[in-house]
Amino acid sequence: MSAPGTDEIVVDHLTKQYKKLRAVDDLSFRVRSGRVTGFLGPNGAGKTTTLRMLLGLVAPTAGTATFGDQRYADLHDPVRRVGAVLEASSAHRGRTGRNHLRMICRAAGLPDTRSDEVLEMVGLTPAANRKFKGYSLGMKQRLGIAAAMLGDPRVLILDEPANGLDPEGIRWMRDLLKALAGQGRTVLVSSHLLGEMQLLADDVVIVAAGKLIRQGPVDQVLGDMSGGVVVRVRTPQTEALTTALSELSATVTPGPEGSLLVHGAEAAAVGHAAFTAGVELHELATERGDLEQVFLQLTAGKAGIR
Amino acid sequence: MSLVNAELFKVRTTSLWWIMGLVLLPLYAASVLVNWANSNVTTPPDDAGVTDTQSAQIEAALEPINVATNLYTSGQFFGILIVLLLSAIIVTSEFFHLTATTTFLTTPRRESVILAKFGAAVVIGLAVWLITTVLNLIVVPPIMNNLELGSQLGEPAVWRAIGLNALAFVLWGVLGVGAGVLIRSQIAATLILAITYVVGSAAVSLIFFLLSEYVAEWISNLQVLVPTSASQLMISGTDLPGSPPRWVGAVVLIGYAIVTGFLGTWLTKRRDIS
Ligand SMILES: Nc1ncnc2c1ncn2[C@@H]1O[C@H](COP(=O)(O)OP(=O)(O)O)[C@@H](O)[C@H]1O
Ligand SMILES: [Mg+2]
Repeated sequence: MSAPGTDEIVVDHLTKQYKKLRAVDDLSFRVRSGRVTGFLGPNGAGKTTTLRMLLGLVAPTAGTATFGDQRYADLHDPVRRVGAVLEASSAHRGRTGRNHLRMICRAAGLPDTRSDEVLEMVGLTPAANRKFKGYSLGMKQRLGIAAAMLGDPRVLILDEPANGLDPEGIRWMRDLLKALAGQGRTVLVSSHLLGEMQLLADDVVIVAAGKLIRQGPVDQVLGDMSGGVVVRVRTPQTEALTTALSELSATVTPGPEGSLLVHGAEAAAVGHAAFTAGVELHELATERGDLEQVFLQLTAGKAGIR
Repeated sequence: MSLVNAELFKVRTTSLWWIMGLVLLPLYAASVLVNWANSNVTTPPDDAGVTDTQSAQIEAALEPINVATNLYTSGQFFGILIVLLLSAIIVTSEFFHLTATTTFLTTPRRESVILAKFGAAVVIGLAVWLITTVLNLIVVPPIMNNLELGSQLGEPAVWRAIGLNALAFVLWGVLGVGAGVLIRSQIAATLILAITYVVGSAAVSLIFFLLSEYVAEWISNLQVLVPTSASQLMISGTDLPGSPPRWVGAVVLIGYAIVTGFLGTWLTKRRDIS
C-alpha cells in the first residue's frame, strides 16, 4: 500500500466492543481526497461509532483510524484540518447561532469574523442572532456545516447530513459537498439512505453489523451487483406493454407511483417494442443499478436494525 | 488562555449567569440582615444550659473583630453556593446540551478543556467574591457604626478574612468543576450539590454534635474534613476556642479541590463521548 496522503482517511482494523455488542468489527478502508465517499449501512451498522472513533471522541477497542498517519487528537490544528458534522442537535438551546460559532472561533484561535463568513456561506445570516432552539432541523444541519467550515478544513466528515432536510436542502447539500470535493478536499458522508448516495457519492464504503461489506467506486460496486440495467416506464396500457416485452424475454415488475420496472432490456429496445405494439408511453428512463436491491443483497442477513 | 476565554464566553452567551445573579441578590441581602441580627445578640447567662466551650465560642464571636469579619464576608454562604452550581453546570451542560461533541472536536486534548473549565470557575468565583465584597464594603460600615463598633477596616484581620473569603470562592469553584465531571447528569449534580451544601452542612453539624456528645469528644475535630465546615473554619476571624487552627480548613479545601480536579480530568480523558 502506498503511504497515505495527509488528507486521506485511513481506517485500519478498527474495532469497538461494547459490553455485549461488537459495534465495529475489524473494519478497514481508505477515503481518498478529491472525491465524495459515501459511508453506507443500515441503522446500527456502526457508522456513527466509526466516525466518532475517527474523531477521537470514542476510544477504539483495537485498531486505528487516522488522517494520513496522525490520529485526530494528535493533529496540530484540528479545526483547520478536519471539519465534522456529527449530529444536528449539538448546540446549546439558549445560545444564538452566531455565538455558537464564535465560541468555536475563540477556542480554536480563529477571528470572530469567520463566523459571519460561514453563516453567509450556508445561508443562515438572517437567523444568526436567533437562539438555536428556534431553528428548524434543516437550519440546525446548516449551522453544523457552518461550524465544520470555520477552519476551512481539507477534510470534511458528515454523519447522516440529509436527516431532516427537505428536498431543496438535500439538493443544496449535494451541490455543496460535490463542490468541496471538486476543490480537492476529502469528503466522507454517512447515510442509511441509498438513493441519495447514488446521486452524491463517487466512492462507497458499505458496512453492516460493524463489518465491511464492499468498497469501491459507486459505478463499479453497482455494476458488479445489479444484474443489468433497469428501465422505468409509465403507460396507461400496462397489460399490452407486459405482453410486448415478454417477447424480448424481459421481466416487468411494479415500480414506484404506478410505474413499471423492466429488467433485462435496454431503454431503446423497450421503446421499440412499445412502438411496434402501438403502446402509448408517458415515461421511459434508464435507472442506474438499483442501489436498494444491491444493498439488500450485499448485506443479506445482516441488514436488520440492531 | 484562549480556552478559558472560550469557556467564559460560553457562560456569557446563555441566560444562566443572570438567572444565577438574580437568585443571588436577595439571598445576599438576607445574609447581611441575618449577620446583623446575630451581632445584636448578647452573651447568654451562665445558667442557660450551654457548655463552657459553647459560651466561650459565643463570647469570642461577639468580639468586635469577629463581628466585623463575619459581616465583611456576608454573602459567602450563598455566593459560594452559586459559584459551586455554576462551576458544576459549565461541565454538566456540555453533556446536557450535547455540546461536548463540539467542544472536544474543537479541542481534542481533553485535559486542556477541563483545565480551562477550572480556570473559568476560578474567574467566576473571583467575580462573585468581588461583587459581594464591594457590596459589603459599601453596606457594612454603616451597620458597624449602628452597632457602635466602628468600621474596623483598619484591622488587618478583617482584610485577611476578606482575602481568605476569596480563596474559599476559588476553591469551591474548582470543587464544583470536579463535582460536575464526577456527577455528569445536570439535574443530579445541581440537586446533590445544592442539597448537600445547604442541608448537608446543618445535618453534618448535628451528626458531629451527637457523635461527640455520645461517642467520643475527639470526633468533633473531624468535622473540619467536611468541605463546608472547612471553609467556615478557614475564614473565621480569629481562632475560635475548641476548633482546629484555620489553616487546617484551607488545607482540607485545597485537598478536595486537587482530588476532584485530578479525578475529574482523568475520568474525562477516559470517557467515550457519544
Ligand atoms: N455507548 C454505547 N453503548 C452500547 N452500545 C452502543 C453504544 N453506542 C452505540 N451502540 C450500539 O452500537 C451499534 C452501532 O451503532 P451506531 O454506530 O450508532 O450505528 P449507525 O450509526 O450505523 O446507525 C448499535 O447497535 C448501537 O446500539
Ligand atoms: Mg448513526
